[in-house]
Amino acid sequence: MRTDGIQLCVDDVSLNFAGISALLYVSLEARQGEILAIIGPNGAGKTSLLNCINNFYRPDKGRIIFEGHDLTRLPPHRIAQLGIARTFQNIALYTGLSTLDNLMAARHIHMRAGFLQSLLYWGPAQREDIAHRQVVEEIIDFLEIEHIRKAIVGTLPYGLRKRVELGRALAMEPRLLLLDEPMSGMSQEEKEDMARFILDIHERHGKTILLIEHDMGLVMDIADRVVVLDFGLKIAEGPPEEIRHNEAVIRAYLGEDMTEGRE
Amino acid sequence: MSNPDTLPKSLLAGYQKYGNRKVAMRKKDLGIWQSYTWQDSYEQVRQLSLGLISLGLKRGDKVCIIGDNDPQYFWAQLAIQSAGCVAVGIFTDSIPPEIQYIVHHSDAVLVFAKDQEQCDKLLELRDQVPAVQRVIYWDDKGLWNYNEPWLISLEQVQGLGRSLDAEQPDLFERSVNQGCGEDLAGFCYTSGTTGLPKGAMISHGNLIAGCDQTIQVDPRLETDEYMSFLPPAWITENTLGLTIHLRTGMVVNFPEAPETVQQNIREVAPQSLLFSARLWENMVAMVQVKLIESTWVNRLLYQIFMPVGHKVAGLRFEERKPVGLFWRFLHTLGEFAVFQPLRDKLGLVSVKSAYSSGAALNPDVIRFFRAIGVNIKQLYGSTEAQVHTLHTGDDVRFETVGVPPPGMGIKIAEDGEILVKGATVVRGYYKNPEATEKAFFVDQDGQRWYRTGDAGHIDSDGHLIYLDRVKEMLTLSSGEKYSPQYIEGRLKFSPYIRNVMSIGSEDSPFVTALINIDFDNVGRWAERQGLPYTTLVDLSQKPEVYELIRRDVEEVNRTLPPAARVRKFVLLHKEFDADEGELTRTRKLRRSLLGERYGDMIATMYGGGDRVQVQAAVKYRDGREGVIETTVRIATLEDEMTEEKPA
Repeated sequence: MRTDGIQLCVDDVSLNFAGISALLYVSLEARQGEILAIIGPNGAGKTSLLNCINNFYRPDKGRIIFEGHDLTRLPPHRIAQLGIARTFQNIALYTGLSTLDNLMAARHIHMRAGFLQSLLYWGPAQREDIAHRQVVEEIIDFLEIEHIRKAIVGTLPYGLRKRVELGRALAMEPRLLLLDEPMSGMSQEEKEDMARFILDIHERHGKTILLIEHDMGLVMDIADRVVVLDFGLKIAEGPPEEIRHNEAVIRAYLGEDMTEGRE
Repeated sequence: MSNPDTLPKSLLAGYQKYGNRKVAMRKKDLGIWQSYTWQDSYEQVRQLSLGLISLGLKRGDKVCIIGDNDPQYFWAQLAIQSAGCVAVGIFTDSIPPEIQYIVHHSDAVLVFAKDQEQCDKLLELRDQVPAVQRVIYWDDKGLWNYNEPWLISLEQVQGLGRSLDAEQPDLFERSVNQGCGEDLAGFCYTSGTTGLPKGAMISHGNLIAGCDQTIQVDPRLETDEYMSFLPPAWITENTLGLTIHLRTGMVVNFPEAPETVQQNIREVAPQSLLFSARLWENMVAMVQVKLIESTWVNRLLYQIFMPVGHKVAGLRFEERKPVGLFWRFLHTLGEFAVFQPLRDKLGLVSVKSAYSSGAALNPDVIRFFRAIGVNIKQLYGSTEAQVHTLHTGDDVRFETVGVPPPGMGIKIAEDGEILVKGATVVRGYYKNPEATEKAFFVDQDGQRWYRTGDAGHIDSDGHLIYLDRVKEMLTLSSGEKYSPQYIEGRLKFSPYIRNVMSIGSEDSPFVTALINIDFDNVGRWAERQGLPYTTLVDLSQKPEVYELIRRDVEEVNRTLPPAARVRKFVLLHKEFDADEGELTRTRKLRRSLLGERYGDMIATMYGGGDRVQVQAAVKYRDGREGVIETTVRIATLEDEMTEEKPA
């Protein structure tokens, strides 16, 4: 599958909650190394789609294929090991631990040392720890969070916690990064910083990024392609320029009246 | 080359002395302090300087640097100077038009710009700075895909330098030795409050004199640690940081990021520190906050031993009396229980020279730090002449900015302006003969003086007292000047004074003041004295309270020349109120309105009466409005320096 550059394929996925459709026959593809944004009004099914990719939700119909693996059959921790990391809309960190410990914890999927070795902190275990710390320190440097390295995450302001969460996802060294509203609730300056980090991650490491975001302006600036969901249906897909002028999208965002009024 | 006369020659001397055996600089990177020896520093500078030459830099060219405190910043500056060129620092928070002005005005042909943020600003300005041939960056984060041949990395420039070095191995040393003390080391653009920035032309001789004068009274050792966090484009970092480093071998540490300075200071525990008054005040506030969050044991120890610290510091520094055995014993306990741990938390555990500069520091802040064993000294200076005065040894006084270091001359002009002379006074402003003419002059003895634009006077012990900018001074009918800001600012340091307006103009022969007492603090004081009172109106007119405030006013008067002293004051029966338009919403005085509203009182103070009948509208808590009538007394201060009127 990777030969044609398609890394993630969501194929005809439907998801129902007690008869209410969250997703209806959604199909999309994320190509290797692109920034794909998923936008849509509230309740459009954006987060549900990410949850299906993680297999927090099991789709009722359809398949999700990542680099040849069918994710719908795998438990979430296996999916993480395949190289998919994500951040959450409402931040999921160990609030009682420091930034550093949160990031180190994310390295566990790459840790090889056995229990006894780790307990003695000797030989390979120590070398491994140092190597992981180096990776984590590079992420700290990259995200400019040196000053909160030792700070307890629960005491940090919201914008910084979001940044730590992105750092945690990066520490897993994923090939596909799922970002669920990484800029929600941020000030304009924080948003710009976050946008810069996302672009840098993309440029530097060529990671594929699947991004959910409300701020249309930012999405249009940084995404390569945009998929628009509305009431669980995919209503449009294409480059930002095209989406900006798409009638169906304008209707979904601005309501029927506006488009009628224009005629 | 026993006494190198330029910064690059000093680097060379240091390299020959220490080589690979001593650490020159440290920078925290990826969470670990990375060390650079003198040899590392030397080689970095050598390769970079030769690289600049291969980019076409000629002696006397100007090169701008915009970046944070990093070893690379200092190396870039030394590389520029080694090539016989002038380094022009730009503050990192400058906006593109400011950068454009300085780059253009200084005739820079190359620019060092640390990172993506600064490179972006220059790319935006590219068409407006056609003389700039290349922009050199040293942090490539985010610049990976720029593909812009105008930008070049510091390593690439050093690569060019290495090739040139292979062809002409003696070029670097030759270039360094061609320099002399008279050569310009850099331009420091001063952010003039009015008009365009002026570029002070600083020679190597100026910097070396500034360093040597300072370390004569405040010696530094080669084992001392220094944290470089003041903006490197500022003269102070050049004098107290880079130049002292090169001349004494003191180790320069660079913070991991601008946000980590406080943590990094704690890790390094430097011997010398310079903070703004605001930063010192913030540290006190931080201690108070942390204490509330701390355990009860810590709070108890703090409550027991801080008074001991204050007592001993008071005896030692203010009363200048010997400290008795009993207090010394308690103080030693306090040192272990509170003072030493606190100093450690604040990064002040090894500090020998703690300086404050800028605005006057609240005496309570100074007292706090003295109590925990840190004697903060004032330092007063300018870009044009570096350090004018500073406190030396234990001779530290709240109200002064110290004495000139040896080699520096200070005098007060007719109009009260502070004039300075010495080897640190710069040649003038680049391409601005008009401003140079205004700011500098040569006296009959051929001495070169700098007009600081600051007003001050020298007290009987030779300490300089800084008042205000000259243009903020007001003139009395006698022609004498006084500083409303100084008087009001100093009086407000008193815990018993809430607000003050000083009065005095060309129509008045002396200075008077309207004073708001601090009702809470004075009330508490009155309770301790067993003094009964009812309201602010009542409390403010008690003779005892007048006596209390009089002592504060006399304290401030003592620091002023007789003509500028407060002669009369009243304690107001009400507070200045923003709701009544007496203060702005940012709590600044509305002077003309206050002058009108309290016109009767002011007239009586100048008329010679000793009390004024006042009516004031008051709003009661229940919403009713009423008028109170009361008598406000006028206090007159006798002045031992002037003749008293016959009774």
